[in-house]
Amino acid sequence: MKKNGLIYTVLISVVSAFLFVFLLSLAYGATKGKVEENTRLTEARAYLVASGITVDGDTDIEALFKSTFPGFDKDAAYQTTTVNGKSVVVSPFQGNGLWGTITGVIGMTSDLQRIVGFEIVSHVETPGLGGRIDEVWFKDQFKDEYAANGIVVKHGGGGGDKDPDNGVVDGITGASRTSDSIQTIVNQQIDKIKKELGGTNQ
Amino acid sequence: MNEDSPVQILKSNVWYSNPIFIQILGICSTLAVTNNLSNTFTMTVGLMFVAAFTNITVSLLKGIIPRKVRMILQTLIIAFYVIIVDILLRAYLPEISKALGPYVGLIITNCIIMGRAEAFAQSHGPLISAWDGITSGLGYMWVLMLIAFVRELMGFGTLFGIAVLPAGFTPWTIMVMAPSAFFLLGTFIWVAKTIILKQEASSMQPKPGRKQASCSAMQPKGGK
Repeated sequence: MKKNGLIYTVLISVVSAFLFVFLLSLAYGATKGKVEENTRLTEARAYLVASGITVDGDTDIEALFKSTFPGFDKDAAYQTTTVNGKSVVVSPFQGNGLWGTITGVIGMTSDLQRIVGFEIVSHVETPGLGGRIDEVWFKDQFKDEYAANGIVVKHGGGGGDKDPDNGVVDGITGASRTSDSIQTIVNQQIDKIKKELGGTNQ
Repeated sequence: MNEDSPVQILKSNVWYSNPIFIQILGICSTLAVTNNLSNTFTMTVGLMFVAAFTNITVSLLKGIIPRKVRMILQTLIIAFYVIIVDILLRAYLPEISKALGPYVGLIITNCIIMGRAEAFAQSHGPLISAWDGITSGLGYMWVLMLIAFVRELMGFGTLFGIAVLPAGFTPWTIMVMAPSAFFLLGTFIWVAKTIILKQEASSMQPKPGRKQASCSAMQPKGGK
């Protein structure tokens, strides 16, 4: 067969495309269980963090998750649990970031006055810029923040906001759009929880 | 002197024909990932891995691939290894996979890999091609790490996420943003070129750098 002929060219292209994609699907199949396991653990961890529980490398996430959320229903809009004597409403959220969907879990006190914890599960924001929403300092700002009227993610200034009672958290330098998205997502989620719980919109 | 000896390839890829400051390839990742040392490190290791394996594969298959479709097949091979890296990271290093996000996928469009596949692996054996891929990755890595060092230090006051500057230090916001990478890279090229020109002037010998024409064909695709 002529090496530069049409048939050979098409044949080689098809065969190599098939071969490489076949190998890829093998690799995907082989690691599928592991990846799902990782995703499940990440989610479980996010629920725990959002309920205000400190999770470190040694925590048995699976066991702790089972004891904290005994009646966990994956499809429910929110879960309730009691952590250190305080009852907490924990709810998974998702919304549009700058580049794609941001998913995570947010926990609030049962009177919906304050945020208990905030954790990102997945996002595709720019690493080093919007991707910094997944850094501990950013997420920790939400802890204990007053949010009965929603939150504001602050831009500019440079002074920083350390006051947990004003519902204002610091945005990320160089990622104003992602910061705006977080503000929208969190506020929408707070409204949603209020509706789900049937509370008044205070 | 043999142009294709392993030592010459190393010198050429790391210094005389460095992919970043001589060939100006792979600039979009230089601008984007270098505000953080950890991300930069993982990204460059990923690139090194993909470059080496792509070079091996292209070199092995060069005999049977028709010229007409060689570039599209090179892209296929690069995409294959990048997705493999992505799958492995997701399964075994989920934290890093999360931190790097879309950048792993962007390795596909990094001109260095295709540049080396086209300029080197197409005409060399698999082993030496692997070496060429690894050293190109090294050349990319050390320049990016240097830029990331300055950017993370000045932009956040940290190195690999550990605070090294006193708490009173005001971070330079510009260092976190992409433009600072332009300034730093420009300064870097200036310094490196000055050193290279001095070396040439003092030795008065033909420099051992390899032909660069091979890469000019690849250059217009820099954007992200």
